Amino acid sequence: MEVAHPTAGWEQLGERFYRKIQLYTQIFNQDLDLDSFLVAGAQYGGAIALYRDENKLVAYRPAKEKKPSIDIYSCAGKLIRSISWDKGPIKGLGWSEDEKLLVVTADGTVRCYYDLQGDFTQFSLGNGADEAGVKSCKFYDHGLVALLSNNALVSVSSYDEPRPKLLAPPPEGDVHSWNLIPPAYTLSRSVEVLLSIGQTVYVSDATECEDRFLDIGPFTHIAVSPNGKFAALYTATGSAHVITSDFQNRLSEYDSKSKILPKYFEWCGNDAVVIAWEDEVHLVGPAGSLTRFYYDNGRVHLVPDFDGVRVIANDTCDFLQKVPDVIEEVFRLGTDSAASILLDAVEQLEMQSPKADDNIQLIRSHLVDAVDTCVNAAGHEFNIHWQKRLLNAASFGKSVLDIYNSDDFVDMCETLRVLNAVRFYEVGLPLSYEQYQRLSPSGLIARLLNRHEYLLALRIAGYLRLPTDKIYVHWASTKVRVGAEDDDAICRKVVEKLSGKPGISFEAIARAAYDEGRGRLATELLNHEPRAGRQVPLLLSMEEDEVALDKAIESGDTDLVYFVLHQLKRKLPLASFFRVINTRPTATALVEASARLRDSDGQEDTALLKDLYYQDDRRLDGAAVFVREALRQPDSRTAVDKLTLAAKLLTDNAKENVFELTALKEAATLLRMQEAFDRDLTDSFSGLSVNQTMFKLIRLGYHGRAKKIQSEFKVPEKVAWWIRLQALVAKRDWNEIEEVSRVRKSPIGWEPFFNQTLLAGNLRLAALFIPKCTGLEPGQAITMYEKCNMRVKAAEEAVRIKDAESWSKLLDAAGRNTQEGREIERLGQAVFKK
Amino acid sequence: MESSQPSMAPHAGFDIEQVREKARKDLLYLLEGVRGKKNLVIEKNLAGPLGVIVKASTLRDYGVDNFFFLENKNTDTSQRNVVFIVRGESARHAHAIADQIKRLQHASQFSYEFHVFWVPRRTLLSDKVLEEAGVLGDVNIAELPLYFFPLEKDILSLELDDSFRDLYLAKDPTPIFLLARALMGIQQKHGLFPRIIGKGDMAKRVADLLARMRQELLAGEDASETDKIGLSPSNTMESVIIIDREVDFVTPLLTQLTYEGLIDEVFGIQNNQTDVDSTIVGAPPQPAVAQGTAPAAASASAGQTRKRKIQLDSSDKLFDRLRDTNFAIVGSQLNKIARRLQSDYETRHTSKTTAELKDFVQKLPGYQAEQQSLKIHTGLTEEILKYTRTEQFNKLLEVQQNLAAGADPSSQFEAIEELIARDTPLPQVLRLLCIYSCISGGIKTKELDHFRRLILQGYGYQHLLTLHNLEKLQMFLSRSSPLASMIPMTGAAGAAGTKTNYTYLRKQLRLIVDEVNEHEPNDIAYVYSGYAPLSIRLVQCVLQKQYLLSITRGNGVSGASAPAGGGAQGWRGFDDAVKHARGSTFDEVQKGEDKAVKARALLSGGGDKKTVFVVFVGGISFTEIAALRFIAKKEEDRRNIVICTTSMISGNVMMDAAIEKEGFGKEAPAAPGPGPDR
Repeated sequence: MEVAHPTAGWEQLGERFYRKIQLYTQIFNQDLDLDSFLVAGAQYGGAIALYRDENKLVAYRPAKEKKPSIDIYSCAGKLIRSISWDKGPIKGLGWSEDEKLLVVTADGTVRCYYDLQGDFTQFSLGNGADEAGVKSCKFYDHGLVALLSNNALVSVSSYDEPRPKLLAPPPEGDVHSWNLIPPAYTLSRSVEVLLSIGQTVYVSDATECEDRFLDIGPFTHIAVSPNGKFAALYTATGSAHVITSDFQNRLSEYDSKSKILPKYFEWCGNDAVVIAWEDEVHLVGPAGSLTRFYYDNGRVHLVPDFDGVRVIANDTCDFLQKVPDVIEEVFRLGTDSAASILLDAVEQLEMQSPKADDNIQLIRSHLVDAVDTCVNAAGHEFNIHWQKRLLNAASFGKSVLDIYNSDDFVDMCETLRVLNAVRFYEVGLPLSYEQYQRLSPSGLIARLLNRHEYLLALRIAGYLRLPTDKIYVHWASTKVRVGAEDDDAICRKVVEKLSGKPGISFEAIARAAYDEGRGRLATELLNHEPRAGRQVPLLLSMEEDEVALDKAIESGDTDLVYFVLHQLKRKLPLASFFRVINTRPTATALVEASARLRDSDGQEDTALLKDLYYQDDRRLDGAAVFVREALRQPDSRTAVDKLTLAAKLLTDNAKENVFELTALKEAATLLRMQEAFDRDLTDSFSGLSVNQTMFKLIRLGYHGRAKKIQSEFKVPEKVAWWIRLQALVAKRDWNEIEEVSRVRKSPIGWEPFFNQTLLAGNLRLAALFIPKCTGLEPGQAITMYEKCNMRVKAAEEAVRIKDAESWSKLLDAAGRNTQEGREIERLGQAVFKK
Repeated sequence: MESSQPSMAPHAGFDIEQVREKARKDLLYLLEGVRGKKNLVIEKNLAGPLGVIVKASTLRDYGVDNFFFLENKNTDTSQRNVVFIVRGESARHAHAIADQIKRLQHASQFSYEFHVFWVPRRTLLSDKVLEEAGVLGDVNIAELPLYFFPLEKDILSLELDDSFRDLYLAKDPTPIFLLARALMGIQQKHGLFPRIIGKGDMAKRVADLLARMRQELLAGEDASETDKIGLSPSNTMESVIIIDREVDFVTPLLTQLTYEGLIDEVFGIQNNQTDVDSTIVGAPPQPAVAQGTAPAAASASAGQTRKRKIQLDSSDKLFDRLRDTNFAIVGSQLNKIARRLQSDYETRHTSKTTAELKDFVQKLPGYQAEQQSLKIHTGLTEEILKYTRTEQFNKLLEVQQNLAAGADPSSQFEAIEELIARDTPLPQVLRLLCIYSCISGGIKTKELDHFRRLILQGYGYQHLLTLHNLEKLQMFLSRSSPLASMIPMTGAAGAAGTKTNYTYLRKQLRLIVDEVNEHEPNDIAYVYSGYAPLSIRLVQCVLQKQYLLSITRGNGVSGASAPAGGGAQGWRGFDDAVKHARGSTFDEVQKGEDKAVKARALLSGGGDKKTVFVVFVGGISFTEIAALRFIAKKEEDRRNIVICTTSMISGNVMMDAAIEKEGFGKEAPAAPGPGPDR
């Protein structure tokens, strides 16, 4: 069969060529009047959504009348799904980069159909959209901007977590047309919106709206190039202007001389603009160069893509793009590129002509480049025949080379197999090589899954060595959703097929089953999920509360446990909530911990804790809550009340809690006594401990009261003595201390008295205690006297214990000629002088 | 910004700098994503750790205008962008954020851009709280996966200040989960720990979580194939040794005696910094010398006037040399250094040629820095000396050491009583009582009641709560307490593993070393002047079998003895001793597919020194780190040791977890004494 030469569909536009590739034929039923439909197509050869345009009148055909619907087709015209629509007029119909269909209604409701099968999530634009009403919408990769009828602009930058935000408001006035620059291409990293108002264009982003001061408007169309660098404006008078998107440079101008308003005004790649009327398409290149295409069979729609434009008509789906460089290098008429010669060489070879070798010799030095070019050109070629020829040429070329890295060649062969498989009309994904590169293999698999092409997806994943887990999970999810078999059979089938495969999320499958209302199946499937944490949210929504809590605890992730507890606490009556947690120590601990630090001020939730401890019969913990409350009371009376309540909790087990009960009673007594002191002594005692109270009383000279405290609280004698000593020293009450020294016995001994008075600087008094100290080490008294500056006394001591060495040291220190020295000498004479 | 690509290049060994670098990049990348000037609102507890990663000045370069603490609730309206950097595990913080957002929105009509960077992860709980407060839609949320903060070239800490309280008092296992996550992060980058050895129930929990996370990662659909290959045993890492703090409460309760340890005891160290009165160390030098690292520094300087922040890390060469030595020799070391500096400086008189002079001038800045550091450390040392010379300190130390050495506890009664009567700071007294209780496996009810009365009367009845907490912690309780039912009687070897039996282990692992040389240490016992920390002895059971055998069997041959435990791994050789410490004991080998193991071996070459991770659940003290570094030094030809922990800890921190802060009456009694107030 004779195959048309690749250049057959080429059209010259300025210095470059553009080509129109017929992707599919017989797209829509001939009865379908495309003119009365809104059409939106997804990027990367994605699906096409059709919705009947309510503004168009159609002939009333009773037989054909049906409920309004959004119909999703493949590029080849295969109906993927028809979604019935009853939400009223549609103000925005578009796609995200990952083929989610977005539908925006007049009141600002946005539906995000995420899987081509009619499942959707929904959110509202807010920001006054319901009152003002949505006028139109523009879409980009993962977001959209809606123009309201009051000229407000609402931007949504993610569909996973939609956060509609107002952009800077443009001035009032009719918006003739508008478009946006995706955030990826703007300096502000925010989406920027171009609006034609009056004669000029305003640019609005998140913070400000700027006038670009044009005077050639109004513009009926604004288009932004795929790389965001250029903008094209179409005036009401029929001329098109191409400028840089920062409005700094005018690039070219073209006058269509048409009075009729074009239906479409889009970019074709980054170098040309397409203008489409009903059945006529103009391709405008740099410097006003022009090519026209005509479609006889009625109305066309354009679907812009990254590297070209798809033209959709009833009977055909064409792809219009600039001829890729490599293709042009090989096929351009009159080319003498190495690659074209290589291609020719293969032809000669097939004809067994010696010219084949001549050709090779001719391009010998450029052979590597030639092979590379042929490999790349094969990728950009849609026609299988020419793909083969190019690969053949490459294969021949590299066989001649001594060393050639064939990785690219092998990769390309694999890629082409995949591309050709998905371009097949029953699949209907006419991906260009460049689109495939951007979409990525896993992106392609995701699209196949949306179309339920499981076998093909598996084959491709296997072929390209990609993980297959998601495919299986998707398959199983669909199976449980639409499968007609009973629960057991499905579960068996799914588990059979998926067991042993790594990375399978049974949770996702179980969720699908649950959403479908097959609770039992969901439970069964969930048991196969290896990740405990993953099971939790689903179990919660399945009202399997306790299982969810157990799984959360098992996972060790306290966030999950907290999450479950949070939900349960809202849902269950408090008593049942406690019943659920009190057999689970971790859960109880977390409830306690968060109740202790509940709000931002760290105030504890005492009510909850009291109930919890009461129900759990944890008396001591319950009492602790009351004690903590007592500490927060502003006055002693209420504090005592709280302490009484604490004690009340413990009285049932008075025997076990005797220590705590005594302590609580004492605490209350102390508070009362302190209150009395505060009143009587006009000083502040409340808040002090028993010891501190005694200390303060003694220091202030209220010895009787201090005694009373001691006996009331049975403060041990030793402790009381210490307190007394310290208080008296602090008071510098030497008389009193001296008074004490007359007592025969001290329970803490007399050394502390010596030390404390010495430290306080009263050497005389300190010395008084030295003879009273018992159990000193030999010679210790000598140093003690020394510390008091009493060398004579020290010497006496040295003499007493016959320590000649210390004695002579003392003598030296004092000096023999002082009175002290003579005294010391006298003392020692009798004993030490031989 | 470039993401670090998973390279197939030979795996270099574990390097903490990478952790710091990644943390830094992650933070700055997120900040960069917020266009324009911004106000930063940081959770107080996170300010210090962030300072370990990035300087305040760098944050300013990235557009941060003002710093605020979340807890101060004073975020102002000066910037349109408000960025919260907050830990995500607690609902409390989410509430606080929601409150502030609402307050700001209410305060002005300004349209704010709110950003929350959750550390280390975004949680369902926080989302829920923000959602219920009605602000979730107004917030841009991101995760800032900061798990380990690199405190030093050998220390990774989660810096969870409350982890001790959470784990042992509140029984909240969040720190365990975060620790496991953090360790998992290391494994994903460097391969599995070939061996997981550990002691204690919480340590076991960590090991179990690691196993679970490994399984889940394998099962996870988001794991790409390369990640799964990454989960084969590492051959740059030798093992991980996980020790639960609960196994050995006594060690951190003892007063630390290394230089860094004593700084921590006296002034307190947080995130490598200590606050010291500027009368002690002098005012900071005029051009603020790299001290203002923490973002906290900016806001802190305004409030406290006389305090100065001292950076304590290895960038201070002098400190690096002194930090792990016993305090007894610090004074003489400082003198030596002072003399050397002096003589170095004198060379300026002797330098004759211009070349010599030039050389001197070049050294001048380093010299000045050293001089500066010498001044600081002399000041600190003098202040510490003031404390260690007090009668009180010596009494405390004496009782501690007697108890640790196994003296009859009743002989220490009087001393303890006296300390209480003399109003010794509560944390110090409680530490003594807890040591007593822990070592003796609980206290007789009569004695316990006596001590409890003394505490309540001495420090106030609010400490009924404190005592209640200590009982829950099983640190101070009666032998007949229901919580103590599992505690074996002292010395009885019967019920092993439910409570650490110090009496038995003291002999078995030779915890008391009398002839310790503080100048030329020969055993880890030098850190406590004669007591070898049990926690670190346990590490030696794994890493230094021969040495430990040599000193416990008393055969006197050190080092080059017979290959007794040559090939033995894990706990082998010490199984019996380890059984007498509290909690479960485990030793697991992680295997991977043979092919992957071989591939990894090929890629990394192997044969080099491998890294051992010593992980402390519930906190590690500076003194224990000193002991570990002592081991690391001995082992440096064979292995690297990296220490991981949930936080730094000391006896004071442990007591702080238990002590009730509020008192009766309007005026709370002032906390006296030198104990650092954390």
